[in-house]
Amino acid sequence: MDVALSRNGRRIMRVFFALVLVFLYAPIAILLVFSFNNADIPAFPLSGFTLRWYHDFIHNGELQAALETSAIVAAISSVIAVALGILASLAVTRSRFRGRGAAISFLLVPLVIPLVVLGISLFLLFHVLGVPLSILTISVGHVVITIPYTILVLLPRLEQIDRSLGEAAYDLGAGPLATFRRVTLPLIFPAVVSALLIAFTTSFDEYAVASFLAGTRETFPIYLYSALRFPTQLPQVIAVAVVVLCASLVVIVAAELWRRRAEARLEAPA
Amino acid sequence: MLALFPGPHGFALGGWYRLFHQGYMSLFWKSAQMSLIVSALVVAAAYPLAYFLALSGTRRKYVLLLLLIAPFMTSYLLRVLAWKVILGDQGVINSALSSLGFHPLSFLLYSRFAVMLVLGYVWLPFVALPIFVTLDTLDRGLLEAASDLYASRWQAFVRVTLPLSMPGVVAAFLFVFIPTVGEFVTPSLVGGSSGYMYGNQIVDLFQQGFPDWETGATLALFLVAVISVLTFVFVRFLRLGEARVA
Repeated sequence: MDVALSRNGRRIMRVFFALVLVFLYAPIAILLVFSFNNADIPAFPLSGFTLRWYHDFIHNGELQAALETSAIVAAISSVIAVALGILASLAVTRSRFRGRGAAISFLLVPLVIPLVVLGISLFLLFHVLGVPLSILTISVGHVVITIPYTILVLLPRLEQIDRSLGEAAYDLGAGPLATFRRVTLPLIFPAVVSALLIAFTTSFDEYAVASFLAGTRETFPIYLYSALRFPTQLPQVIAVAVVVLCASLVVIVAAELWRRRAEARLEAPA
Repeated sequence: MLALFPGPHGFALGGWYRLFHQGYMSLFWKSAQMSLIVSALVVAAAYPLAYFLALSGTRRKYVLLLLLIAPFMTSYLLRVLAWKVILGDQGVINSALSSLGFHPLSFLLYSRFAVMLVLGYVWLPFVALPIFVTLDTLDRGLLEAASDLYASRWQAFVRVTLPLSMPGVVAAFLFVFIPTVGEFVTPSLVGGSSGYMYGNQIVDLFQQGFPDWETGATLALFLVAVISVLTFVFVRFLRLGEARVA
């Protein structure tokens, strides 16, 4: 006898799980359908197939610029966040100092602060310091938001690594930098890549904090947010949405599968 | 340092006075209620999903988990956009209804209902995760022991599984409650005036025609205070739980 689920219970739960998946993916599927619909307003009945909206957004300069800005911000902030995340994670795994638990909690605090609050406090900070708002201020905001995610990915991986590997490298005359570069980094590499991806996608999609810290250059979410208020732009925005959603789904799934395999390979005895 | 206090006030408690006397508290309660309902419903829906993944012994456990969580990793704004398209007055549901000869439903968009539906949709995949982790690490031997001692499946669930998974449930609840109680993006896109939340008020105090940064900052600080208390209580609860198990 199965102690967790009866046969009927299993059947009901399977149906429920399937229904939830339909609920989660149906809105995305609906966007996909209407991105090819030849009408200015997304409504039933459907009125013929068109690639007009895809054509329009590819030739929309403002949108291209916004995508480019977001890519730059995401690249800057994810590299900085991962670098800081590695340093912080190394610090709390390598040494057992007093207040270590408190330090870890403190590093994760931005996770439980609402984005509005982070946004306005950074905005006030830059205002007081007299720093003009620009791509760099948004990047700083995104570093603050994404550091906890990078730590959540990197810290467990670093703790798995056998400490004696680092000690062996020391014994063989490697300095701390060489040890990091030739021993630690290769072992945590899959986690570094997934931390980078998480930080990049989070930043690329972030609206709340960016809305307070953006200068004159719009990021993609800021562009989207304002486009959502003008119905004439809607079909084009739907087409962009489909491209971005599909691209991110593919990247996420591929990255996760790759990380599993890479870590399994690192664990396997040579 | 003087620049820290914009305006002629210097040190002032006016923001706190206004927080408690100008209807901001009732707006806070309204937002808190909305996100309490959303969090409770979403956790209740996510529990069976996590239970199925962790304990049904399905071989495709991680594939299904990835399938469940993937939407959460994609763009937040775009998922809200999808619902705007679906719920609008001329949207997917209403245009389908009227082409079938029914009256369109006006409460779908720009309402509290819309805000809560979209927030639930956005957070559901993520919430399954912490519950899944606690259930997945649960020792199945405990359930077998309960069964050997003539507990029915239901009794085993109520007396063993549920109590042991409470930390995951409470964490999941907070993971939704904390971001949704301060939410302003979703309500401003699908909420209209009846879905206006506390977070919108904070933003408006900073960005509207007559900005009042002092009051806005006070409102934000109050939000952080409430959330800190909740988080602190949760951490204590976890410690107590660990002490009891040990």
